[in-house]
Amino acid sequence: MRYDSGRLPDFSVSEGEKTVRRADGSFLTLILILLTTGVIMVLSSSYARAYYDPGNITGGSAVYFFVRQLLYALAGVAAMLFASRLPMDFYRKNSFYFMVAAVVLLALVPFIGVKANGARRWIGIGGLTLQPSEIAKLAIILEFSSMICKFRTGMSTVRYGIIPFTAVLILIVGLLVLEPHFSASIIIIAIGGVMMFLGGVRLGWFAGAFILAGGAVAVLLTMFPYASSRIVTWRDPFASSSDEGYQIIQSLYSIGSGGLSGLGLGGSRQKYLFLPEEHNDFIFSVVCEELGFIGAALILVLFSLLIIRGYCIAMRCGDRYSLLVCAGITSLLAIQVFLNIAVVTNLVPCTGISLPFFSYGGTALIIELFEMGIVLSASRDIF
Amino acid sequence: MRTENGKSGYAARPTGQMLRRTLVLMAVCGGAAFALLLGRLYKLQITDHEKYESLAIAQQLRQTPTARARGTIRDRNLKPLAVSASVDNVYLSPAEIEMYGEDKELIADGLSEILGLDRCDILDKASQKGSWYVTVAKKVESETAEKIRKFKAENSLMGVRLETDIKRYYPNSSLACHVIGFVGTDNSGLEGIEAQYESVLAGTKGSTLRATNAYGTELLINGFEEYRPGESGLDVVTTIDTGIQYFIEKHLRQAVADYDIQNGAGAIAMDVNTGEILAMVSLDGYDLNNFLDVSDEVKQEMELAPDEETASEILRNAQTRQWRNKALSDTYEPGSTFKIITLAMALEENVVSENDSFYCPGSVSVVGRTTPIRCWKSGGHGSQNLTQAVQHSCNAAFVNIGQRVGAEKFYEYCDAFGFLELSDDDDASLTARTGIDLAGESGSIWWSRNVFCSKKNLSQLAAASFGQTFTITPLQLITAVSACVNGGHLMQPYVVKALLRPDGTPELEKQPRERRQVISEETSAKVRSILEKVVGDPNEGTGRNAAVAGYRIGGKTGTSEKVSLEAKTGQKEYIVSFIGFAPADEPKIAVLIFLDTPSNESGIYISGGQMAAPVVGRMMADILPYLGVEADGESGRNECSMPMLIGEPLYKARESVSDSGLRCRTIGEGDTVTDQLPAAGTLIAPDSEVILYLGAEISQENEAVPDLAGMTFSQARDSLSSLGLFMNTISPAENAQKRIVCWQSISSGTTVKHGSVIEVTLIDGDETILGKY
Repeated sequence: MRYDSGRLPDFSVSEGEKTVRRADGSFLTLILILLTTGVIMVLSSSYARAYYDPGNITGGSAVYFFVRQLLYALAGVAAMLFASRLPMDFYRKNSFYFMVAAVVLLALVPFIGVKANGARRWIGIGGLTLQPSEIAKLAIILEFSSMICKFRTGMSTVRYGIIPFTAVLILIVGLLVLEPHFSASIIIIAIGGVMMFLGGVRLGWFAGAFILAGGAVAVLLTMFPYASSRIVTWRDPFASSSDEGYQIIQSLYSIGSGGLSGLGLGGSRQKYLFLPEEHNDFIFSVVCEELGFIGAALILVLFSLLIIRGYCIAMRCGDRYSLLVCAGITSLLAIQVFLNIAVVTNLVPCTGISLPFFSYGGTALIIELFEMGIVLSASRDIF
Repeated sequence: MRTENGKSGYAARPTGQMLRRTLVLMAVCGGAAFALLLGRLYKLQITDHEKYESLAIAQQLRQTPTARARGTIRDRNLKPLAVSASVDNVYLSPAEIEMYGEDKELIADGLSEILGLDRCDILDKASQKGSWYVTVAKKVESETAEKIRKFKAENSLMGVRLETDIKRYYPNSSLACHVIGFVGTDNSGLEGIEAQYESVLAGTKGSTLRATNAYGTELLINGFEEYRPGESGLDVVTTIDTGIQYFIEKHLRQAVADYDIQNGAGAIAMDVNTGEILAMVSLDGYDLNNFLDVSDEVKQEMELAPDEETASEILRNAQTRQWRNKALSDTYEPGSTFKIITLAMALEENVVSENDSFYCPGSVSVVGRTTPIRCWKSGGHGSQNLTQAVQHSCNAAFVNIGQRVGAEKFYEYCDAFGFLELSDDDDASLTARTGIDLAGESGSIWWSRNVFCSKKNLSQLAAASFGQTFTITPLQLITAVSACVNGGHLMQPYVVKALLRPDGTPELEKQPRERRQVISEETSAKVRSILEKVVGDPNEGTGRNAAVAGYRIGGKTGTSEKVSLEAKTGQKEYIVSFIGFAPADEPKIAVLIFLDTPSNESGIYISGGQMAAPVVGRMMADILPYLGVEADGESGRNECSMPMLIGEPLYKARESVSDSGLRCRTIGEGDTVTDQLPAAGTLIAPDSEVILYLGAEISQENEAVPDLAGMTFSQARDSLSSLGLFMNTISPAENAQKRIVCWQSISSGTTVKHGSVIEVTLIDGDETILGKY
C-alpha cells in the first residue's frame, strides 16, 4: 500500500500483471466518519449502564461495551477491506451458496439457537453470536441480483419476475416467523421488494402488493391483540403502560430534552438507566440528547450522503450485477437507518431495529461493514 | 479490467429502466426519507423541546425533604417538654435485591433479629416485585440504626436502605400531655400545642434537589445537587410550670385512685393575675411517646371483644377518650363553685351586704316551680349572715341573692364574666368560649334570654344562682373566679407565653391581656375575704378540709348533680369539685379540680368538701412553698420539733420531750440517752410518743406502714408511734382531734425504716355535719 500526499489512501495495488483500481474514497470516508462517531457514542451512551450493571454483564466496568465495540469496529474494517478486495465475480459466482448458507443457518436457528427475550434469533459460534437474519439480508441482495441478471427480459413476466422471488421470500420469511423475528421479516420483504423493483417488475405488482399488505396488516391487527396494542402504544405512548410505551416515552424525553444544541457529548441524563437499550436500538436518542438537533441533523446528512454516494456508485457500475448489488446494499442501509430513527422518534410503531455503525453489536457491525466492502469492490470497476 | 461475458446478463450494461429506478430509490431513500426524519426531529427537539425537557427533568430530579428541625416546646422555666431527635426509617428496595441477587433469607434473618420484627413479613416485603421502596420500620433510634448500617455494610446489601427522619420525644411522658399534644408519623401536630402551633413549630420544609438515575441514586458524573434550606421552627415557651403540673397531676391521680373516680378528672392551675395556665390535667392521661397505647383495662376489654371490628372500635373510642382534654372540652354544671360568681355580682350590684341576714328553712319555693328548691341541709341553716351563707354553701340563701340581682342583670354579668355572649336573638340559647390558644375548646350552653328572664318562671335564675341548669367548661369557671379574686380583671387565659428563635432570642412575647374589669377592687377584696373564711373557718367553713396550716387559702366547694343524667336514667351521679386560691389576701394562683363520678363504695362521703377540698389542700401544700410563698409559722402549725437528746441524762431528756409538747417511752436500761427516734429536728404531730434508747440499738428491720384511713388524728398518731413511725399533717391544729385521716403520704403496706415520718391529711369525721356542698 502506498500513500500519495494530499490524497486519500490509495487502495489500488498491483496484483501480478493486473491492476486493482482504487476504491471510492468519498464512500469510504463517510463510512469511517460514521463508524468513528458511532463507536464514540457507544462509549457515551453505555457507560452508565455498564457501571451500574443491572443485568450482571459488565462486572461494573464502565468501558465494557466500548472496548468490545471498538474491537468489533476494527474487525469490521478489516472485513470491509477484505470484501473490497474480492472481485464482483466472486460474489456473483457464489450468490447461490450465500443463499444456501443463509437458509441452512436460519433453519438451524429453531434447533440450536440461543433464546433471549422469548425468541431464538442467534446462533453461538465460539464466543460470538451471529444473527443468520443478517446474512439472509445480504444473501437476498446477492442472489436476487444474480437471478435478475439471469432472467433478463423475463422480469416483466409473472413466471420469472414474480414467482421465483416470491418463493424465496416466503421461504426466508417463514423461517424468520418461526424465531420469531418481526423486524427482520419486514426488512427482508422490503429489500426483496427493492430488488424486484430494480429488476424491472411491473409497477402494478407493487401497487397490488401494497394493497395486499395493508389488508394483511388490518387482519393481523384485528386477530392479534398483541399487534394492535403496539399501534395503541404508537398513537399515544403516554397512555400505555407497556414496556414499549415506556421505551418510547423515555426516547422522546431524551430526544426532546436535547433541544437545538444538546447537553454536550457525555451529558445525557436519560442514559442513567431511564432509557432502555440506550447503546443499542435507542442509541440515536442519546445522540439527539447530547448533540442536539444540530448534531443529529449532521449525522442524518452524513447518512444521506453515504446513501446517495452508494446509489451513484451503483449507477456508474458498468454491469448490471454490480449495479443491482450496490443499489441493493445501499437500499438496505437506507431502510435500516430510516426505520431505526423512525422508531426512536415514534414515527412508526416500535420494533427492534439497530442503527448501522452506531448500535452496539458485533456480528451485525461486521456484516454491515462487509457489505460496504462489496460496494467498495464494485467501485473499483468504475472507470 | 474484467472480461466481458457476452453469454450471460451479468456483465451486460444496465438497462435504462434500472438506472431510472435506481435514481428513484436515491431520491426516496437518500432524500425524501431523510427530509421526513429531519422534520420529525425538528418537531421533537425544537418545537416540543420545552415540554419534553420538563417531563424529563421531572423524572431525573428527585426532591427529598430534609429532616427539618421542629421547634422545642418548653415550660415557663424553659425546661423542654417536647424535643426532636434524628432517627432513621428502614426500608427495602426489592428491585435492587433482585437485581444484585441479594440473599432475601439473610436480609429477613438480620433485620428481624435487629428490629424484633416478624421474619416472614420482612421476607414478603423483600420479595415484592418491581418495587423500589417498601417500609420495614419507621423512626428507628440511632443505636438500632447503627446495627442495621453495620449489617448492611458487612453483607454489602444494596437493597437494605435507611433514610433520616425526625422523631418527637416527650421527656416527661404523660405530664401535661393534653396541653403539649403529639405529632403524627409525618411530624405534623395532631393535638394540643403541637397542633395549635404547628406552623410556628414546623418552620418551612427544607429540601434537597438531586439529579438521579432511574433507581433514585446519584449519577456518576453530571451530578447536580441543590440544597434548599428550610427555616427551622421556633421554640414555643408555654405558661405551664412543670413543677406545679407535677404536683397537681400527682395528687389528682391519687384522688382518682382513692375515690375510685369513674369518669375521669381534671384540674387547672391559673395565675390569677395574668390568666396564664400554670397546669392543666385531664385524667386518664396517656404517654405522649406512645400516644396510641391504651390502658390495660381497655386491652383486656379488646381481648374479650367478639370480633376484630368491635375490638378496633373499643380501641378507637379509648384513644379518643384519653386524648380528650376534659379541662376545656368537657362542659358540666359547676354547682356550688359558681356561687362565687353570684356572690361577686350581688356585692358589686350592692344588693347584698355582709350584714344581711338570710334565713334558711331547708327549702325555698320559687315562682314557676312546682316543687320547692331544697337546701342540701334538710333541717335548714336557720338564720345566717352573708359570710355564713357562703361558708354553709346555702342554696336557699343563694336563691334569694340571685333574685335580688335579677335575671337580666345576672345574664349581663354572666356575659361579662365570659360564660355566655349575649345575642340580639332572645330565643337563641347562648354560648361562649374563652378563646384560649389550644384546640378543642367547647362552648358553654345557657338558656335563651326569654326562658331565663321570664317573669313568670324564676326557676332558671334560682337554679343558676347555685350553679345548676347550665353547662360551662372548667376553664371558663377558673377564668371567671380568678377575675373575682384578682381585683375584678377578667384575663384572657393562654398557654403559650413566648416564641423563641433557635438562637434563643424572642420572636414574640405575649403579654397578659385583660378582657375587661367585671367587678371593682373593693368587691373583689370582699369576695376574697369571704372565700377565705370558707376554707379557714374550722367550724363553719364547708371548705375547711382544704386548709393548710400556715397558709391563707380561699376557696369554694362544689357538688353538682348530673341532673340531665338523672332525668334520663334515674341514676344519681355527681361531679365533685373545689376551686381554691392562695394566698387569700394577695392571690397568685387558683386551682380548680373536678372529679367526675366518685364511687359510692370509696367509704368517703361524696361531696366537694370531703373529696375535692383535701386534694386541693395537698396541692397547695406542695405548690405554695414551691412558688416561694412563705408559710406563717404562728398560725396553727400542727407539729412539734424533736429535740436533740443523745448524750443527755434520762431525766433531762424527759423534761425536754415534754417541753416540746411530746411524750416518750424508753427502750433498754440506763441513765443516759444513747439514741433516739425520730432524729433531732424532725417535725411530728403534737403529743407523739417518741422513743429514747438507753444503751439499746435501734432495730434495723423495716416496718410496714399501717392503713390509717378513717382513724382519728390521735389514733393514727399513736398507731404509728407504737411501730416506731411518726406522723405529721398539713391540716391545721384546730379541731384536728375531731377529724379523721383521709390520705397518707406513704401508702399502707409499704415498708419503711424506723423513725420515718408519714404525712396525713384530715377530713371531717362527724357524719352528722356532712352534706352535698
